Amino acid sequence: MYLLLRKLSRLRRDIGLRSAAPGSLAIRHVDAGSCNGCEHELGATANPYYDMSRFGLSIAASPRHADVLLVTGPVTTRMRTALVRAYESMPEPRLVAALGNCAMGCSLLGLATEEAGGVRDVLPVDLEIPGCPPTPETIAIALTSLIESRRR
Amino acid sequence: MKLLALYAVPGEGVRTVYEIDGGVEVRTALGDRVSSIVEEHPEAVWPEREAHDLYGVEFEGHDPMRPLIDHAEGRTAWQVPVRGHGSHEVAVGPIHAGVIESGHFRFHVVGERILHLDLRLFYKHRGLERAAEGTPVECGIVYAHRACAACAVSNSIAYARAGERVLGIEETREMARSRNLLLELERLYNHLHDLSAICAGVGFAAGAMAFAALKERAQRLNDELFGHRFLFGTVAVGQSVLVRVGSATREVDAITTDEATVWKEMLFNASVQDRLAGVGVLNHAAAVRLGAVGPTARASGVAIDARSDVEPALPEKASGDVAARAEVRHLELQATGLRLRELLGTDLEESRAEAGGDGDAVGIGRVESPRGETVCCLEANDGAVTRFHLRTASYRNWPALAEAAAGNILPEFPLINKSFELCYACVDR
Repeated sequence: MYLLLRKLSRLRRDIGLRSAAPGSLAIRHVDAGSCNGCEHELGATANPYYDMSRFGLSIAASPRHADVLLVTGPVTTRMRTALVRAYESMPEPRLVAALGNCAMGCSLLGLATEEAGGVRDVLPVDLEIPGCPPTPETIAIALTSLIESRRR
Repeated sequence: MKLLALYAVPGEGVRTVYEIDGGVEVRTALGDRVSSIVEEHPEAVWPEREAHDLYGVEFEGHDPMRPLIDHAEGRTAWQVPVRGHGSHEVAVGPIHAGVIESGHFRFHVVGERILHLDLRLFYKHRGLERAAEGTPVECGIVYAHRACAACAVSNSIAYARAGERVLGIEETREMARSRNLLLELERLYNHLHDLSAICAGVGFAAGAMAFAALKERAQRLNDELFGHRFLFGTVAVGQSVLVRVGSATREVDAITTDEATVWKEMLFNASVQDRLAGVGVLNHAAAVRLGAVGPTARASGVAIDARSDVEPALPEKASGDVAARAEVRHLELQATGLRLRELLGTDLEESRAEAGGDGDAVGIGRVESPRGETVCCLEANDGAVTRFHLRTASYRNWPALAEAAAGNILPEFPLINKSFELCYACVDR
């Protein structure tokens, strides 16, 4: 256990992340029909290489505790209602971010009857993070910039 | 006689794909009203429900026919009725509390104890199989590839192999080497992810972070070798590309050595081990009955692995619990390390498939994905896809997860779920 913790602390030191932006952002993630790639990369932002909690980013369990709704995937017709309800449950001011190409409505593959389109077709979108999937670094940079823009 | 897949072909009937004495046999039951095979093959329950929901096929003897994909029907239609003193329901999802895919679980519980679990997935159904119809066989691979990121390689290779059978071309040795390499790289980062998730499931943060860091290294290695962290776009029907291996073996060695160290930390941590043993047991009989595949089946003592040249990795004690499923991951990670070292010995040359006679009417492609055997069935007319069906490993293992959850307490479910680590995306399609 001791060895393991020492290894982890060395890892953190080696990576040398930038100093944290002051402020915070509570994120509620909703998978509206993604291939799980964006989920993997969003999860990776918590690993010791990126450690997003140091920048004030955290995942909130409920939309009622969230500042930003981070949506992945094309919005399937079956997830549309759940997505809209999650958005309606959020306190204002609230932000919506579309994570990944599918959420941005690009190159959707499924049947038109099963997909409602990109997130923009369902909710007002404040931030788009492109990529298939976006790398953890891209996600971390985009979300920290959101903290900075909120401070201005 | 092992059932590999069952799917409806509109206007024709229902196809069943079996493995008989090592060979693959495709049978067709004509018409839209056919006999159910769930008595002999309980693993056919889900595919029959799917064929009923999407293509309106009636299965005689499958009663009650509960909806699987059709969400229009009410709760009582798809749930198993549970009655009794003190029994109540706990509904979870489709949106979960963490960064997890969407799906709905309905637990029937007494106190904290789970009596029964009803799964309602397919919230992410994108209709990928039907959307692929009409595209040229070579191009349709994108529908398999984009179905699920974590299984992108496995699904693509299953599709590519099925496509090559249809087109009547054969995989060369160099192509097989490239595909084996891709499959093992996918297994490497997936198994590391699963072990991290299991540690997180018992609140062992140090282990979760150590495995997550190793997963990151494995994904960076993917990026270095193939230009993508999830190995997207690396598989094509009938060809494989040139790959410079560089010093990749050194990084593979480093990752597997570090994995062994963290595994030992986990093994000698009594408070972690106490949480893993005896939880979420899928016994041998249930695993066989439900046709479970992959690490899940092997942890329950079922010695199957779709890789013909690999000895199935069985844990020391095939207890079918979370501990056994974790151990299978560790054993396979070490074996994958050795295989990767072999595969990465020399650079990979570009290669194209060779002509191999007439194409099959139904092309079947099989691979061992990180979660178990995945089967792709492909039919084409004039080089264009007429029916594409992807039966992934997760599709087989979801009913097994519901079985393993029964009898445990509700707070153990996230841990049990993580020890199976099934995809929603490649089930929902």
